[in-house]
Amino acid sequence: MIALKIAATGMLAQQMRVEVIANNLANMNTTAYNPRRAEFTDLHYQQIQRAGTISAADGSILPAGVQLGMGVKPSAISMDVAQGALKQTGGELDLAIEGAGYLEVALPSGGTGYTRDGALKLTGDGQIVTSAGYPVMPDITVPDDARDLSINADGEIYAYFQDQIDAQFIGQLTLAGFTNEKGLEAIGGNLYRETAASGTARVGEAGKDGLGQFRQGYLEQSSVDPVRELTELIEAQRGYELNAKVITAADQMLSATTQIR
Amino acid sequence: METTGYIALTRQSGLLKELQVVANNIANISTTGFRREGVVFAEEVRALNAEGGGIAMTSARVRFTDADTGSTTQTGGMFDFAIDGPGFFMVETPAGERLTRAGSFSTNAEGDLVSMTGYRVLDSGGSPIFIPPDAGKVGVAQDGTISIGGRPIAQIGIFEVENPQMLLREDGVLFRFEAEANPAENSRVMQGFLEGSNVNAVTEIARLIEVQRAYELGQNLLDSEDERIRSSIRTLGRIV
Repeated sequence: MIALKIAATGMLAQQMRVEVIANNLANMNTTAYNPRRAEFTDLHYQQIQRAGTISAADGSILPAGVQLGMGVKPSAISMDVAQGALKQTGGELDLAIEGAGYLEVALPSGGTGYTRDGALKLTGDGQIVTSAGYPVMPDITVPDDARDLSINADGEIYAYFQDQIDAQFIGQLTLAGFTNEKGLEAIGGNLYRETAASGTARVGEAGKDGLGQFRQGYLEQSSVDPVRELTELIEAQRGYELNAKVITAADQMLSATTQIR
Repeated sequence: METTGYIALTRQSGLLKELQVVANNIANISTTGFRREGVVFAEEVRALNAEGGGIAMTSARVRFTDADTGSTTQTGGMFDFAIDGPGFFMVETPAGERLTRAGSFSTNAEGDLVSMTGYRVLDSGGSPIFIPPDAGKVGVAQDGTISIGGRPIAQIGIFEVENPQMLLREDGVLFRFEAEANPAENSRVMQGFLEGSNVNAVTEIARLIEVQRAYELGQNLLDSEDERIRSSIRTLGRIV
């Protein structure tokens, strides 16, 4: 009874959709979170009768054959790459990226991570790090006697010192862009890693080559739209119930079969 | 006298196939660009008896693909496309060119526009579409023209075939075509939208109930046929 298995693939698919929605809603307030979307494709088909088969000696051709589908499978959980709203925080090391691009982060494991979460902090030594304490690349150290950091749209960091009137340039933040952002691998902690699908990172100055710009004193909000998630949740739940209905029907037909002698 | 059982059997096995089709439709209720399918039963005359009456058996002969457009939902994705009209996108798979309605595309590491399953999307001339990595905002017009900063760079190909019923389904919401695919005339590309599955839950559940009840009816028929044969054997046995 293949119908049982087909309906099971449908239930699994809807269940996965609910899991993805649950994760999106859980990350409603995560800085710079992009919602994920489960996408599905149909499974292979069983060819019962091929379209275009010759059905008679005079060369008549069957206009359409019989193909039976075998269900559904998840094809991708893709990221909806969208700009989240910018929320003013006033923090001098709170950076939002307006447009495309990621901050490069040196991971403790030795690799490079990428993030759009610009809630940066300073270590005791004055190094600029992410909330998790990973250094932002290129390495920028803010001297202890610096005050009033100002970061412009291009990522240039200026600081005022006690004895000087003009702000001094102390470093410049860069952005990394990807050909296919959807291909990045999320590793948790608002971090992504590059993959063969994303292409290699193009590191460049903010505001150039299609990269976005920095906004100091703002943080990018999660771009999850609760209304959309809830309508999807309703759809997923009903889809699950419909598939369950098919299982019930298939089961009852099977039991009718066993009752003939 | 044994044929009754066999005739009922053709109906029963056909109903099982139809159940499978309904199950597949419902399983794909949220598959982007999925087209629901149905089965048509045809009468097959297998034998004529001496009196000239026919014995008709049934078989699932024809599958049809419902060409209704599924509901489109706005996603806002730059590379999410829906087609308004009967056309299809063309993708290049290792096994040849295939048509699809699932317009959830993205770029790959080389910068080519690819489908969800990683196949290159073809332009109106049949070649892959390259999106420059530093493109920024990409706009797509209703005729499929892709433009970056007001400069057209390619045109997404929208194709149609003369007889959509001849299309063969393949996994990954793809359709294989045998004849030639021509540029579509009455189709428009909508950027930022995706076409959902055109499966209608109400119709499918109605069909499901119908199939189930018809199946039970067939089982009843087989039951009473069994009873009839048994009683005739019993009666005949008593006479001997």
